Amino acid sequence: MILIRAIIRPDKKDEVLAELSQAGFNAVTVVDVVGRGKQKGIKIGGVVYDEIPKTLLLMAVRAEYKQEIIKVIMEAAKTGEKGAYGDGKIFITPVSEVYTVSSGMKEL
Amino acid sequence: MQEILAIVRMNKTSATKKALVEAGVAGFTAFKVMGRGKLIDDPAVVAERKDKMMSLAGADEQDAEMLIDGFLDGHRLFPRRLFTILAHDEDVSKIVEAIMSANRTENKVGDGKIIIMPMLDAIRVRTGEAGEDAV
Repeated sequence: MILIRAIIRPDKKDEVLAELSQAGFNAVTVVDVVGRGKQKGIKIGGVVYDEIPKTLLLMAVRAEYKQEIIKVIMEAAKTGEKGAYGDGKIFITPVSEVYTVSSGMKEL
Repeated sequence: MQEILAIVRMNKTSATKKALVEAGVAGFTAFKVMGRGKLIDDPAVVAERKDKMMSLAGADEQDAEMLIDGFLDGHRLFPRRLFTILAHDEDVSKIVEAIMSANRTENKVGDGKIIIMPMLDAIRVRTGEAGEDAV
C-alpha cells in the first residue's frame, strides 16, 4: 500500500479528478494548499508571489496501481504539450496499515 | 514512530478529539479537506442513503436531488476533516481502535479511512529533541 500526494494546479483539479474517476480511481482527498517551488515563486513586476495556491491530492492505493495513477495525473495535470513551470509534483510514501471505519476492516 | 492519517466526518471532529484524549494522545493537527470514496456497488445502500438525504432536504430545494445524485455517483466532493497524528509504534493500535469506535455510524458508508505510515524522524522545535522523545 502506498500514499500518493500530488500537488497540481487548482484549475486542473476537475480535469484530473475526472480522469482518475474514468480510470477507476474514485477515492481521493483534496486539500487547498499554498506553496512555492524551486523557482522561488513568481515575480510579476516588482512583486514576488511565493505563496502560490495549489491543490494537494491524497490517495491511498495498492502499490501495483502506482504507475497507472502517476500516468493519469501526469497527463491530465500537464499544461500544454511540453508542460510548464508550476504544473506540480507527485510524492509517494509507503503505507503500513489501512482501516475502513464503517466496516472496521483492515482494507480500503 | 508512525504517522496516522484519519479522515473523519465533519460532525465527528469533537468525538474524535475526545477519543484521542482518552487514548492518551492529545496532540494532533487537523484540517478541512474535500474528497470522495470508492464507488458503492450495492444499489440498496445507495438507495437508503438517498432516501435519508432527501428527507433532510427542504421541499423547496429544487436542485437537492441533483446534488445528492452527484454525491452518490462520485462526481461531487464532500467535506471531511483530516487528522494527522504522530504516535509511538506501540500506541498505534490503541489510537486506531479509539478513532474507529468514535466514528462508526449506522450509515454503512462514508465513515472514513485511517492510513498508517512509517515516519522517519521528528524534532521538537522548542528543545531540539529528536526521534521517539519528540513525539
